[in-house]
Amino acid sequence: MPCAPTFALAGLRALAGCVALAIGLCGGVAIAADAKAPVRDIRQALAAVADSPQFPADAVAVVQALPDDWSHSRPGYEGTVWYQVTFDRPAAADPEAVLALYVERACSDLEVQLNGRRIFGDGRSDGPVTRNCYFPLLVPLPLALLQAQGNRLDLKVRGQALEHVSSRERAAGLSVLRIGPLAELSGTWRSQQFWNVTSAQVVAVTLFVLGVFMIGVGWFNRRASYLVYFGLLAIGWAALSARIWVSELPVSSATAEFLVSLGIAPIVGLAIAFLLSYARLKRRSVELLLLAQCVLLPGSLAIAGPANLYAVITVWYWVLGLEVLAAMAVYLRVAWSRQRSEFWVMGANLILLGVLLALEVVLEQDSVSIWRRHVLHYALPMLVLVVSFRLVQVFARALRDAEAGRTTMESRVQEATAEIERNFAQLAELRVEQVTEKERKRIAADLHDDLGAKLLTIVHTSESERISTLAREALEEMRLSVRGLTGKPVRVADALADWRAEIVSRLGQAGIEADWNGPAGEIEQLMSARAVVQTTRILREAVSNIIKHSGASHCKVRCTIGDSEIGIVVQDNGRGIPLELDGRLDRGHGMSSMKHRAKALNGQCLVESGPGYGTVIRLTLPL
Amino acid sequence: MKNVLLLEDLPEIRAWVKALVLQVFPQAQISEAARVHDALALVSAVKFDLALVDLGLPDGSGVEVVAALREAQPDVQSVVVTIHDDDEHLFPALQAGAFGYVLKEQPREYFAEQLNRISQGEPPLSPSIARRVIAYFAAQARPQANAMPKVQLTDRESEVLLRVAKGYTLPEIGVQLKLSRHTIADYVKQIYRKLNVSSRAEVALEAQRLGLFERSH
Repeated sequence: MPCAPTFALAGLRALAGCVALAIGLCGGVAIAADAKAPVRDIRQALAAVADSPQFPADAVAVVQALPDDWSHSRPGYEGTVWYQVTFDRPAAADPEAVLALYVERACSDLEVQLNGRRIFGDGRSDGPVTRNCYFPLLVPLPLALLQAQGNRLDLKVRGQALEHVSSRERAAGLSVLRIGPLAELSGTWRSQQFWNVTSAQVVAVTLFVLGVFMIGVGWFNRRASYLVYFGLLAIGWAALSARIWVSELPVSSATAEFLVSLGIAPIVGLAIAFLLSYARLKRRSVELLLLAQCVLLPGSLAIAGPANLYAVITVWYWVLGLEVLAAMAVYLRVAWSRQRSEFWVMGANLILLGVLLALEVVLEQDSVSIWRRHVLHYALPMLVLVVSFRLVQVFARALRDAEAGRTTMESRVQEATAEIERNFAQLAELRVEQVTEKERKRIAADLHDDLGAKLLTIVHTSESERISTLAREALEEMRLSVRGLTGKPVRVADALADWRAEIVSRLGQAGIEADWNGPAGEIEQLMSARAVVQTTRILREAVSNIIKHSGASHCKVRCTIGDSEIGIVVQDNGRGIPLELDGRLDRGHGMSSMKHRAKALNGQCLVESGPGYGTVIRLTLPL
Repeated sequence: MKNVLLLEDLPEIRAWVKALVLQVFPQAQISEAARVHDALALVSAVKFDLALVDLGLPDGSGVEVVAALREAQPDVQSVVVTIHDDDEHLFPALQAGAFGYVLKEQPREYFAEQLNRISQGEPPLSPSIARRVIAYFAAQARPQANAMPKVQLTDRESEVLLRVAKGYTLPEIGVQLKLSRHTIADYVKQIYRKLNVSSRAEVALEAQRLGLFERSH
């Protein structure tokens, strides 16, 4: 996988960018909260516990520092608390500027009265409490109601005890109040609104779409079935994050809290199932345990009752967190041994996820200020997003590899097909050759057995020497023909050796001195059997002429081999060939048949002769 | 006194060869056969000195008779008398133990001369036969060929073979190597003998491999 490092790098870059974004935004929010000079932060208020339409004048009010976390100030209390602050209109401000009250967090429902007049709130005094814990509030202060000095703000907060919710995020409380020009506060509000709610919505929608996509992909690819788990995880996460922005529920808060905690076990289960499946460690038993956990968690919550919800769910957070960490450890160990590049990408991501999860659990212990924690709302799903992008990338790569594999396979099949066709053609050719060869052999055998036997009989039974000789020559011709018919190509070197042996021994038997001069060095060329046979006949004829007619005492034979031709010169010192009356050489010497044979081979045979000068036969044949 | 086996299916040729053998060896006792079957019967009955064997016969090949003779009467000189001059027909006969060959259509005097030479231990050797013998021993020398004890040619024998293969006649080689005609003839005889010994070992090994050896006993 030559591209793996590139992919790993891309993944890491994406991750780094994401983390940088998170850190940067965190810092940005922190600075924005304190920078505005004309804005006043109100850090204490009179607080009174009463479920009345106005601030209870008769009740015992205590000075309460803000932010007020009910779990510290009035543990176990669930209901309504009135807060009252007085403020003067900021002197430096433009008298016509609209002022506003900014509440970063009022959990879970807020009503505001200015100088005794209600300016914000739904006014519902019964039914399910509106769940606005995640929404920052910006309340414009109507100019008409404002006095120059001694303005009174009454804030009615309804909320639930920490014990009755499944997350500290939704435990009742009121943040620091800020009063200042609307124009300036709205910026802060928008920023907080975006990061607390809108970002979570965006991420949720993205996760949902990705989840659907992955389920689709995983469903149709058995090898990538882990994508189904991840898709379900993403969709589950998206659904669970609805708790952030869905503020009006037609059920009591106790029921709502119970419902929210129901979603956690399946999501953790899916995460673990995904990790194991991705590491190819799918175990039926583990999946069954995870399923059982999905039943066990709500069961335990139901048994414990709404009063102990937070205590029980905290234990579960620890259990589930440890489970996820264990699954991550298992996955990373497998990735380390199998796929190092995968280890670094997923490892970094999972470690960040682990850190954030740990942070989440720690936050539930209230050791960090609750007002900054919205970072988690998008940082966590963001990492899930990174993982999902990584998965898509892995899948896309697998798809590409599969495509490449298919192409390779296709070309291999094509090659194999071509090979088979070639082999078949060769086989067919071979078959034809075999049949032809067999037929030639049969013809040759017939010639030998029938024609040969008859010619032989004539050779040895004829009274006439002339007929005997003719029959003998016919037999030799027949043998050469058969050889030309059945013979395979002959190495030129072998043909030369055969000619030499025949010519030298024939001349020697006739008492003529033979001087053979062949080519030096290795000769690798081949000659067709037919060419060898024809050349043999020409040479045999030439030697016969010398023996019978020339009266020569000496005969020189020179052979030369060129790249594409063979040259043979036969020269004797005899009396030469007498001219006929028409100026041609004596036909009785078989010159015309020699020339004819040479011509048939696309070569030529030149005869030079003169009375008393001997004869030179120059034979040139193509190879 | 010579006992001669004459295996030839054509009556005229048989008569012609018979007359010629009688001319060369006037006191010869000639046993005639026209078929392989008859020749094999004669081989098991009569002790021969010389056998003239045709190759293409109605009921088989003369090579069988050559092999049978080599087995039963190792001292007999088997000469192939044939119409075929190509190594494809001759080489198997030489492997089977033939000690040379004579072409049937040759004029009487050449035929007689060659027969005489062979019987005196001067077998002919053509370039194409020499090439076949060289190729055969080259294949035998290959280490993986088989596990039998190797029959190898001496350097001198190889030298003679190589020169024959290049087209030099035996007298020429004698001159080149400064060896007498008889010494050259001895080398050629040795080559024929080793070809036969090696081939027989090969055949035996092959038979053993196929399990034929066990069955035949």
